[in-house]
Amino acid sequence: MNNDLSSELTDLAAELALGVLEGDDRANALRNQLANPAFAAMVRTWQDRFEPLGDAFAETPPPHLWPAIAARLDDQPKTDHPNKIRFWRNSATLAGALAAGLAAVMIFNPTANRNPTGNQDAGQPAAQAAIAQLTGEGGSLFAANGVPASGQISIRAVTLPASALVPELWIIPADGVPRSLGVFKAAGVTQIALPAGVQPLLVDGATLAVSLERAQGAPHAAPSSTPIATGIISTL
Amino acid sequence: MLNADHADARRAELSDLIERVAQGDRSALALVYDRTSAKLYGVCLRIARDREDAEDILQDVYMKVWNRAGRFDRGCGSPITWLCAIARNAAIDWVRKHGVPAVPAIDPSAAPTSDIGDAGAAMVANEGRAHIFDCLDSLPDNQQRAIRLAYFDGSSHSELANTMQVPLGTIKSWIRRGLLQLRGCLQGE
Repeated sequence: MNNDLSSELTDLAAELALGVLEGDDRANALRNQLANPAFAAMVRTWQDRFEPLGDAFAETPPPHLWPAIAARLDDQPKTDHPNKIRFWRNSATLAGALAAGLAAVMIFNPTANRNPTGNQDAGQPAAQAAIAQLTGEGGSLFAANGVPASGQISIRAVTLPASALVPELWIIPADGVPRSLGVFKAAGVTQIALPAGVQPLLVDGATLAVSLERAQGAPHAAPSSTPIATGIISTL
Repeated sequence: MLNADHADARRAELSDLIERVAQGDRSALALVYDRTSAKLYGVCLRIARDREDAEDILQDVYMKVWNRAGRFDRGCGSPITWLCAIARNAAIDWVRKHGVPAVPAIDPSAAPTSDIGDAGAAMVANEGRAHIFDCLDSLPDNQQRAIRLAYFDGSSHSELANTMQVPLGTIKSWIRRGLLQLRGCLQGE
């Protein structure tokens, strides 16, 4: 099922799951986990394989750390935490229909009113509308569209996990190095002004990814965690 | 040892608690902490090899649990596995960033490489879950020792080369061959 992974990447996925990588190898593997869904799936497969080994870790009672953890919880902004998740849970069955509706809206976007069924793999120039649907393992779903040449794209969070962290959008071009496009709102549509230099990277076939990051310091130089959703850009 | 029903009930209870955490229930997180902190501290301590560092990592782990509980899916695996994976990844991230103290992971002469595997296998009631321990045992000694040290102690390639006193290239090749054979064994080839 992961036939499209090179044997080098297959090995690398196993080594990342084992935890043995360091330095550039680890950075390279983490980049691939972000940019390559087949690679990320292979890492998960290996995590599942190793999973029973976790039973063998010995239990060691820690000192009483709960008060310190409770104090840190107090510092976390979490005002809408419960409501948000309830909302997403209740609307879980709607998410699919919503996504389908969004895809239609994007395809009928006036800047891209060609062929609604969109066979757009012929290497069109980037001065076109670009769309991407970003999906992830936990059901996370985002829709992005826009005209990169205009310096603006829109992203809409359709489904994402409740979190005190904020979603951050990344473009991962052919070199595999993620560049931040900035953080965006966890609900509704966010207009993102493309940072200088990234506009030429939003081409057909490039990967968009969303990771959850701390709001402080954004846009970040590199993602701190694995993506919750990825998708490939199509130009129309 | 717990019987299977009891273990299932505890697993269901822990899953319920994590789902409550996802809804922002702090008292549920306190209960998760009570039930799992000894296990997760064991993971952090084993990998970080320093009590204070392990305590810091453990705090981060429960903050991650708080923030990520919405991503837990009880249909996709056991709650303690999900928690252990968070702890193990946090500890490995930490040691890759800060380095580990120059304390050997385990004293190779004092601790036979198979002991944790045997103890683990004994704890694993379910035969399917114990399979990976059998598969590990079937690997050549050097390969299984390298893989065990990597998994249980979070050792990197270069740390393994130090511990096992062989060149880095040899370690990399042991790990690759060992993982390949492990996959074959787990897939019943």
